[in-house]
Amino acid sequence: MSEKHRAVRRSVRAFCEREVLPIAKDIDQEARFPWEVVEKMGALGYFGIQVPKELGGAGMDSVSYVIAIEEISRVCGSLGLCVTVHNSVAVYPIVAFGSDEQKQRWVPPLARGEKLGAFCLTEPNAGSDAAAIEATAMRSDAHYVVNANKVLVTNGGVADICLVFVRTDPEAGRKGMSVIVAERGTAGFVVGDLEDLCGMRANPVSSIRLYDCRVPLENLLGKEGMGLRIALAALDTGRIGIAAQAVGIAQAALEEGVRYAKQRRQFGVPIAKHQAVQMMIADMATQVEAARLMVYRAAVLRDHGKPFSQASAMAKLNASEVASKVTDMAVQIHGGYGYSKSYPVERYYRDARVTRIYEGTSEIHRMVIAKNVLGS
Amino acid sequence: MERHIIVCIKAVIAQVPGKRVVRAPDVLALNPFDRPALEVALCMKEEGSGTVTAISMGPESAAFALSEAMAIGVDRGILVCDPALAGSDTLATSTALAAAIRKLEPFDLVLFGTRTADSDTGQVGPQTAVLLDLPLVTGVSSMEQKDASLVVERRADGFQENFEVSLPAALTIHPGSVQPRDLGLSGIERAFEEGTVDQWGLSELGLSPDQVGWAGSATLVASWTRAIKEKKCEFLSGGAEEQADELVKRLVALGLIG
Repeated sequence: MSEKHRAVRRSVRAFCEREVLPIAKDIDQEARFPWEVVEKMGALGYFGIQVPKELGGAGMDSVSYVIAIEEISRVCGSLGLCVTVHNSVAVYPIVAFGSDEQKQRWVPPLARGEKLGAFCLTEPNAGSDAAAIEATAMRSDAHYVVNANKVLVTNGGVADICLVFVRTDPEAGRKGMSVIVAERGTAGFVVGDLEDLCGMRANPVSSIRLYDCRVPLENLLGKEGMGLRIALAALDTGRIGIAAQAVGIAQAALEEGVRYAKQRRQFGVPIAKHQAVQMMIADMATQVEAARLMVYRAAVLRDHGKPFSQASAMAKLNASEVASKVTDMAVQIHGGYGYSKSYPVERYYRDARVTRIYEGTSEIHRMVIAKNVLGS
Repeated sequence: MERHIIVCIKAVIAQVPGKRVVRAPDVLALNPFDRPALEVALCMKEEGSGTVTAISMGPESAAFALSEAMAIGVDRGILVCDPALAGSDTLATSTALAAAIRKLEPFDLVLFGTRTADSDTGQVGPQTAVLLDLPLVTGVSSMEQKDASLVVERRADGFQENFEVSLPAALTIHPGSVQPRDLGLSGIERAFEEGTVDQWGLSELGLSPDQVGWAGSATLVASWTRAIKEKKCEFLSGGAEEQADELVKRLVALGLIG
């Protein structure tokens, strides 16, 4: 951990504890997106963490990125989700695959948080099986005519710039997938109702539908047929962020568990004196630390230009399952109060659950990891 | 108005120490009382022009505090660092800081926080000002710039005092005077990856080992232990009105109300 990385942790933690912590419970309960905080986060560079400086970003490394996501998520999982999805699966693909003109046009306002991004892959009949998407983009003069029904889009209710995965060649199977950048406000671009979610409630997850939406041909990201490649590259990067998010939520649950165990008295002593509680605290601390190290390892590999796909898949699988277990133990330590909205652990418990589902379910991750291990 | 403003800052121990004080990177943080002083300096720079230099005395592990200052816009960071400085009390610290500040002449203003979050003496600012023979106002809550002077407001004990101070001068900045800015990620990247913190030892400062450290200190911390606060919880008896009366009576007796 370098001094720079410590500074990232200190500064993001200080900001989140001052600006986000006081509203974290309310925005969860009200399912409200806190624009007032998001604007401040934009000014501090949280929406362009790894974006090159010349495109308006902070130009930081992956380790700084995961620390920032971890710290935001420690206070509010919903905002951690907003920031990681924006950075890794909305902005990163434009930086990595966009033309110079596309980067100049879209990236600076995204990096400053003046515009928010979304990744529109999932459909009612295509989730884990990404190649099964039914959305289409057909050429018509200087435009693509896009028809798409994308669901469960993180940041969907607030996103200005959406990466929409479509079929540009319906006959070409996996090789017929492409990415079109669609901007909110274009005729035929419709934001659906917000999902009433179990957790991550302050994130405006919604459907996004495009009805004969005419998008200029120059909004194609990369080339026709590169959709699956772009999706996989984005998700490799995205997994590190989701893993960091899970670590942040688990860390919060650990801290609350420890705090409560020292304060709550039963049988004449704080419950932290009971061995059964100590066993849980030890397991929580160990699992959080191990999950964190796996996330940092994936980030370091990425920073050194080494293959990180397997490491990020393992980190995401492990961190999301650790977050589920650790938040569950935090609720258990709190007893009946842990099941009440009077304490924050029930929010952590709800928020942690989805980390095993989005950006690749645990089951898909196990398939990917096993395939790499078995070499087939 | 082009000004050269010097801000003295400190990397404080942010966690309660155990038996021994170790200034390890994990337990240090930029003194929160110094942030308003940095903010005032940066606002003055933004209003006019000029430069802001931050100085800190401490081990190499304290250099991050200067990098953090540079991350929010400070132009130059100088770490006063030498093994002979170990054990310095506030007077020896002021001696070292004053020597460093003299090397930075010409300057217009030297700013300090009112105190530090760890040792909490509030002595370094005033002592340094005396050693530099500078006019000093402590606890400044606001200021107005004039050509060769400042009009500053000081609040203390429920009174508001206004001073006109000729420059160069030294001020300690009241912690509630401004809201310090947050560190942005771009600033952190720039300061920690591209910025350089200068390091000055005793030879650069023109000081001898007997002027600083244990040898140059007028005081010595003979021992320290953690203070234990006695807390008592007493339940008042009687009806609600009786309890309220008794509570008010006790608060008046303690001089807290009335």
